[in-house]
Amino acid sequence: MFFLKEEAKVITLHPSYFGPNMREYLITRLNEEEEGRCTGDHFVICVMDMVDIGEGRVMPSSGHAEYTIKYRAIIWKPFRGETVDAIVTSVKPTGIFTLAGPLSVFIARKNIPSDIKWEPNTVPPQYTDHADQVIEKGTSLRLKILGVKPDVAAINAIGTIKEDYLGPL
Amino acid sequence: MSSNLLNQDFGSDEEEDDFNPAPIDDSDAEEPQPPKAVRGYHGVNDEDEDEDQNGDDDDEGGADANDDDEDDAEEEDAVERPRKRRRGGVHNFFEEEAGVDEEEDEAEEDEDELAEFGTEMHPDDLDALPAGAETDDRRHRQLDRQRELDATMDAEKQAQMLKERYGRNRAAATDALVIPKRLLLPSVEDPSIWGGRCKPGKEREVVYSIQKRIEERPAGSRNPIRIISAFERGNIMQGWFYCEARRQPDVTDGLEGINFYYPSQKLTLVPVKEMPDLLRVQKSEELNPGGWVRMKRGKYHDDLAQIEEVETNGLNVTVRLVPRLDYGMNDDSAAMIDPKRKRTAASAIRPPQRLFSEAEAKKKHAKYLSATSGLGGKSWNYLNENYIDGFLIKDVRISHLLTKNVNPRLEEVTMFARGGEDGAANLDLASLADSLKNANAEDSYQPGDPVEVYRGEQQGLIGKTVSTRGEIVSLQVTEGDLAGQTIDAPVRTLRKRFREGDHVKVIGGSRYQNELGMVVQVKDDTVTLLSDMSMQEITVFSKDLRLSAEMAADGQLGIYDVHDLVQLDAATVGCVIKVDRESLRVVDQNGSVRNILPTQIANKITPRREAVATDNNGAEIRHGDTVREVQGEQRSGVIRHIYRSFLFLHNKAQAENAGISVVRTTNVVTVSARGGRPTGPDLTKMNPAIAGQRPGGRGNGAMPPPQRGRDRLIGKTVTVRKGRFKGLVGIVRDSDDKTAQVELYTSNKPVLIQRDILAPKDPISKQPLDMGRGRGGSRVPHGGAPPSRGGGWQGGRTPMSGGDSSRTPAWGGASSARTPAWSGVSGSRTPAWKNDGNRTSYGDGSRTAYGDGNRTAYGGIGNRTPAWNSGSRTPYDTGSGYDAFASGSRTPAWGGAGASAAPPAGNRTPAWGGLPSGRDQRDYDDAPTPGGYSAPTPGAYGAPTPGASAPTPGAWADNAPTPGGAFSAPTPGANPRRGYDAPTPAAYDAPTPALGGAAETPGAGYGDDDAGPRYDEGTPSP
Repeated sequence: MFFLKEEAKVITLHPSYFGPNMREYLITRLNEEEEGRCTGDHFVICVMDMVDIGEGRVMPSSGHAEYTIKYRAIIWKPFRGETVDAIVTSVKPTGIFTLAGPLSVFIARKNIPSDIKWEPNTVPPQYTDHADQVIEKGTSLRLKILGVKPDVAAINAIGTIKEDYLGPL
Repeated sequence: MSSNLLNQDFGSDEEEDDFNPAPIDDSDAEEPQPPKAVRGYHGVNDEDEDEDQNGDDDDEGGADANDDDEDDAEEEDAVERPRKRRRGGVHNFFEEEAGVDEEEDEAEEDEDELAEFGTEMHPDDLDALPAGAETDDRRHRQLDRQRELDATMDAEKQAQMLKERYGRNRAAATDALVIPKRLLLPSVEDPSIWGGRCKPGKEREVVYSIQKRIEERPAGSRNPIRIISAFERGNIMQGWFYCEARRQPDVTDGLEGINFYYPSQKLTLVPVKEMPDLLRVQKSEELNPGGWVRMKRGKYHDDLAQIEEVETNGLNVTVRLVPRLDYGMNDDSAAMIDPKRKRTAASAIRPPQRLFSEAEAKKKHAKYLSATSGLGGKSWNYLNENYIDGFLIKDVRISHLLTKNVNPRLEEVTMFARGGEDGAANLDLASLADSLKNANAEDSYQPGDPVEVYRGEQQGLIGKTVSTRGEIVSLQVTEGDLAGQTIDAPVRTLRKRFREGDHVKVIGGSRYQNELGMVVQVKDDTVTLLSDMSMQEITVFSKDLRLSAEMAADGQLGIYDVHDLVQLDAATVGCVIKVDRESLRVVDQNGSVRNILPTQIANKITPRREAVATDNNGAEIRHGDTVREVQGEQRSGVIRHIYRSFLFLHNKAQAENAGISVVRTTNVVTVSARGGRPTGPDLTKMNPAIAGQRPGGRGNGAMPPPQRGRDRLIGKTVTVRKGRFKGLVGIVRDSDDKTAQVELYTSNKPVLIQRDILAPKDPISKQPLDMGRGRGGSRVPHGGAPPSRGGGWQGGRTPMSGGDSSRTPAWGGASSARTPAWSGVSGSRTPAWKNDGNRTSYGDGSRTAYGDGNRTAYGGIGNRTPAWNSGSRTPYDTGSGYDAFASGSRTPAWGGAGASAAPPAGNRTPAWGGLPSGRDQRDYDDAPTPGGYSAPTPGAYGAPTPGASAPTPGAWADNAPTPGGAFSAPTPGANPRRGYDAPTPAAYDAPTPALGGAAETPGAGYGDDDAGPRYDEGTPSP
């Protein structure tokens, strides 16, 4: 689910950046560092705007300046039960690896409908029900997230397509 | 009477069929009989018997028995009689059951018949009899009837009757069910029980002989045995048997001369209170066919067995086992003959569990093999054991079986599954689950586990475990009406509850122990989870799972974890891909997978996150970056480890080798850097002021002379500061980077001692020398150099490489960082330096300085230049092809920019962690560069180190007189920011003397200056 979240970040700036373009530099830096970041809990999709950049404080002994920037960002926190669209990144006998945006979702074989079978002999290998449903690398899938496992700087999820309205789009 | 009416109808029907005329219309005398008989059937009291007697008398006499029964039955009976009589003779031997199953009215009728058949005889039979013969079989019939009666009486009443007749228990006089149990307990009036001793194991025999004796001399005989009863308690009370008798002399008399009885030991009177305990029956474990047990001994020790059949004696069971046979493959012929030896051989090598294969048995042991006819399935006899359907069928004693806490594991059990292809088809999961339920609850249920009551009254409750006491689990209900309440439930009715997507850990009872994974399917008691590690689906019992909060994929064997890098031998490292209970599976740097024991691992290599390598494009790659293979399989993955020129990549989507693959650094390109690490410039290198200084500074100050030659410690007199040899003085005979071989003064034997606990001493004055200066001195100046040089700004790089001795064996190790020449020329530096400088320019040193300088320069400049932004770090790369890199041999060194380069390029001072020697090489190759530094540089700075000065011009084209062609590209880029440059000259100029001095002039180079003389001259440090 997407949220608009207000967060704060501390950026230290080398004195060589002290100057007229400092603000732009701070913003660039913030965007660079924050956008696409995964906290293990959510993904920062986009930094919307700066609420407050604050005053820099020069740190004793180093000359660096410390800025606390408050900003608003669109974040995505995947939930169990959420239905997302994803793109298949690889297809293995054990299941399907997909990417739903930044989130990698694995669909275990148990969570693939039984009529969609593993077909290793095709090129590229695919899961198919020998009808209109073919799942291979690059296929778009609609899946439901079954579980989310937070990691230090990543989120892993498993999903299912064994339900109505799920599967290749 | 409705029944009569019915009878009437029925009778008339039959009359129509009746074509046989009735032979005799005997008499009406029998008419009253039937009702009597009816009563006789239903009643069990004596009265009935009497009546029967009467009936019989009537028969005999043919008299009219005027019974109390109703006379109105007469008419019907009269109608029916002919038919019945017809059957009469034959039906004499009718079983009474014939009538019992009929409908009620019919039954009544039949009963009539039955009553009759006793009384009637077929006329033919009568004729056949001699005139005076007794025509009646009254006695027989009486007996029959008595039997019938007994049979029809239900067992309970019969038992009661018998009890009345034979029972001697006072309790038996009344209804046993009514008497409370406590009144049945023995009292002082009851016979006492004496315990006697006998030979252990012979208790039963003693009891048998007592029994025999009682039979021989019963109560009424001349010399009766007055022992009322005798019993023993088997294994519980070994060596004891018990006799019930009124008086002790009765017992002693009765036991006289009984075998195995120890009369010398006094009889013990069992107190009345303890009598019930003596006879308490320990409810033995109930064994049911299909249940699981474990073998206690023999070849199949600890193997799981399934009960096929339980013998009625309760001592033996037939079990089904997965055979462990080697079919004589491991026996030589001699061993075959000698059974003893064979047994030892068998116990030494335990064949794996496999189903019996007659094909294999036929190979060597055909003579021991014979087919037996089994009911379906293949049945074989091999070496006197029976094998059916591949399983060993064996009779064993229960005492040889483990029946409690069997804990069958799923994989063990699947071996027993017959038929099903996947092994699960025929699995009796219910019985398995039951035997698993017997496992102790406390192990498998821990507070906080989500559980579900799946049977019993409280079926369907969902909650969390609060506590466990034995077999009872308290759970707090979390859902439904009872939410919030705490209830108790027996373990048997519980199962753990998981939802799909839960992250769980396998806690035990399975070979998947400690696996972490996510639940993908829950089906009753079994849970399928997807292992984090192998991405494989695992099916386990829910009781073996726990919710896991652990983030990382676990799996540890001692200190080794999956994905750890371990040193296998001096030249080989491997990445752990699987941790079993006893062994590890690793993939080594050559990509080969092997199984090793933890003991075979030299040590674990702690990951160095800061390690840097270069990829095929010369871009920097680090731990955590995602790279892709350029050639070959195009594998991609995240860098887990960098080892020399090898990368261990991890790819989650790859199932084999736990996702680990090995590639060479030269064979990969960066896909993305970790955590959005700016692929652009390093911000810390941005300050142009310092960037400008850099080359000169670097060149002057920090170049450590390659550490070659003798360790300065060798030959020194040292004292030991710590340990066993503390305080002893000796001479260092040999040394390496960690230890030194010291010949102690006291014992003339060299001992190995850690270097760091050695303190050099003046051999004569015995005053301690300053160790820091003496041995590690080299380090100090380098560590200290950066500040002197750059005012600390470039400190990031230099100290890192310089200070971290651990990374650079040559550096840290060759304690005397200096070359002998260097250190030797204690006072006059210049020649030594020059010497060093020379080397620098042509050899390693030069490279070092140069490379590092370059890098710095680019770091500084590139930032701002388009060349830099184009994505590659080094203008060289973009500028003039990759020939130098492609040359291959260089790359490791360059890759070694980080730590990892150090070992291969040992003689190139790895201390210069950052230096891209490949690049340097190219600099040499390219025309401008050599020219750049060999000649002009000294002039430019007046600095003695050409190597050092060389880059300078490159970086600062304006300052440098060198035609540093290679550098010219970035320089213009740098120029736009001249604003920054302004201070540079100043900054640059100012430190230069200092820098120069730091390195070479004794006056300025405080570090070295101090070090050399003091050490060499052995001056005591203040």
